[in-house]
Amino acid sequence: MSGEDRGTEVHPVDAADDASVTLAAIVPLERAASSVSLEGVSKFYGDTPALVDLTLDARAGEFLVLLGPSGCGKTTVLRLVAGLEDPTSGVLRIGDRVVNDVDPKDRDVAMVFQSYALYPHLSVARNVEFPLRSRQVPGAERKKLVDEVARSLHLTELLDRKPAQLSGGQRQRVALARAIVRRPRAFLMDEPLSNLDAQLRVEMRAELVELHARLGITIMYVTHDQVEAMTMGDRVAVLNQGALQQLDTPVTVSDRPANSFVAGFVGSPPMNILRGRLTSAGDALAVSVAGGHLVLDEQAAAALRRRGLEEVVVGLRPDDLVVAPGGTLEAVVSLVEHVGQFQHVACRLPGGQLLWVRVPASSAGLRTSDGVRLSAEGSLHLFDPLTGARIDA
Amino acid sequence: MREAGAGYLFVLPALVAFGVFVFYPLVKTAYLGFFTSPPAPNLPAHYVGVSQYSSVLRSSEFRDDLWRSVQFVLYTVPAGIVLGIALAVLANQRLAGIRIFRTVYSSTVATSTAVASVVFLTLLNPQIGLLNYWLGRQGGAGLLQSSSLALPAVSVVTIWQNIGFTFILMSAALQAVPDDLLEAARVDGASSWFRFRHVTIPLLSPMIFFAVIVGTIAGFQAFGQIDILTQGGPNNHTLVLIYDLYQQAFQYDNFGSAAVLSVSLFVILLVLTFAQFWYFQRRVFYAN
Repeated sequence: MSGEDRGTEVHPVDAADDASVTLAAIVPLERAASSVSLEGVSKFYGDTPALVDLTLDARAGEFLVLLGPSGCGKTTVLRLVAGLEDPTSGVLRIGDRVVNDVDPKDRDVAMVFQSYALYPHLSVARNVEFPLRSRQVPGAERKKLVDEVARSLHLTELLDRKPAQLSGGQRQRVALARAIVRRPRAFLMDEPLSNLDAQLRVEMRAELVELHARLGITIMYVTHDQVEAMTMGDRVAVLNQGALQQLDTPVTVSDRPANSFVAGFVGSPPMNILRGRLTSAGDALAVSVAGGHLVLDEQAAAALRRRGLEEVVVGLRPDDLVVAPGGTLEAVVSLVEHVGQFQHVACRLPGGQLLWVRVPASSAGLRTSDGVRLSAEGSLHLFDPLTGARIDA
Repeated sequence: MREAGAGYLFVLPALVAFGVFVFYPLVKTAYLGFFTSPPAPNLPAHYVGVSQYSSVLRSSEFRDDLWRSVQFVLYTVPAGIVLGIALAVLANQRLAGIRIFRTVYSSTVATSTAVASVVFLTLLNPQIGLLNYWLGRQGGAGLLQSSSLALPAVSVVTIWQNIGFTFILMSAALQAVPDDLLEAARVDGASSWFRFRHVTIPLLSPMIFFAVIVGTIAGFQAFGQIDILTQGGPNNHTLVLIYDLYQQAFQYDNFGSAAVLSVSLFVILLVLTFAQFWYFQRRVFYAN
């Protein structure tokens, strides 16, 4: 039980907010946020692995984002926690309780589906009250809880409508209300914002973060959108091919990617990944790639020498590349994207690889087919060419 | 104008076919009801105006016919739908070899009424019928010879015969229920019965509604099984409206009262169907 208590202490309910106070008052303390953990969990469909020996946890009251490309197994994690699928091996825990053999209805988690999965034949009020009705909460109490959660999510006016009569954002809020109304131990959210238009997505992102802070709930949130991951999560778990790549705070994942996959996946545009041979450039060590070379600093060179590597994988943030006459890389501009204060310039190296460079919008106009020289200004990220693991200088 | 002309031209073939085979017979039948049939063929029919309508419709025979038809529908339609849904739910599991069961369950749709009736006639035969034997009635009167059990027995045969069709309808509807709704309900804490009652059934409701309408009409018009199994007997206990109509017309040559019965059947089905639409409209959920 210590995990649960910790959750409620870490995220006290905001006393200034009426709706959440009453909500919290109704739900007994021991049913508040729990931790959710997977220990060595694998899931196979026939011979096809979906998850391989996965160990991760969402702490009580934490907003944990599962990030990865489609097919990486992140939705499978949620389905396993919810009990919609059974793990092939490993242990699932909600709070201190092992739930491997517990029926979904008794796990006391709520799930928000990508499709929202609202019951189309029921009004908003009946949708929200569904989890209470299925648990035989008495009518009067049901109405009270539904009214409260409807008020806190601005759904009061919509309670009599059917889902088909709602906009995407409203449906999203109904799905959230249905999840919140019984204050489960944890919330599982499967790309809940992916069906919304861009502007609404930004709004809902903020609302979800605020809701999390207000209610002190545990959220496991699946997304393939790394902007969502970086802006919403307390911690981010990056998954690829069913395996955990990195589990850390957004800042760390972004600044110190654990391997070349994470480096190439996180960021917008993501880090450029180049493979090159180590050569000497005067006194210093350099990485030679098609189109030029990149000079390494002392520490990096020392780390590489210690490992006796001949090749290395280099990660370069688009912000860390600049267009400069004296640059050490030769490339040709193949695309210029104007995004607000910046231009994202895709430059093609002679070997055919694209490098993304972020330059201020005010800088001189680069046009397609222009020849440019690039130099690396910031820090280089180095990865082992065989394992992809980060090499720390 | 030219477009309208072309439109009428397209409608014409259907109009002709309906006119010859539906509208004309309908009007002609209503018209026949104004004449009493002669005591022997080839003698002229008598015009009696609406008096034949009122005498037939007020007769106790008509009331009994109608009540038996209603009983037959009440026996066959709800039970058929409940069984169809139950089998569809069973066959909707993801199990090895489930296709075999799906084929078996839907197979009665490929059986003709005549074949099904003959099979059951044999099974229910008082001397050699296997079902009769199992029911402990060998040697005595068969089910079909029992005044209280003949109509239920014919109903059971009808349910069996219709089950394939209902099963196919309900299976199709069941497969259209989105998985994520049922999964959401599981996570929301619903037991399997609660999910079935509050998610599956409402989403099946349009198909249930369709099956009720079609089943009711088919029930009022069920003829083949009665003709083969009981011919309205014993002692008129399976004499439903449609079978009386048939006997009046083709056994007693009493076309006048047969015409009255068929007009009444038409009106009854029309009113009933409208009533069902009216009743179900607010209770059925349509996805779109």
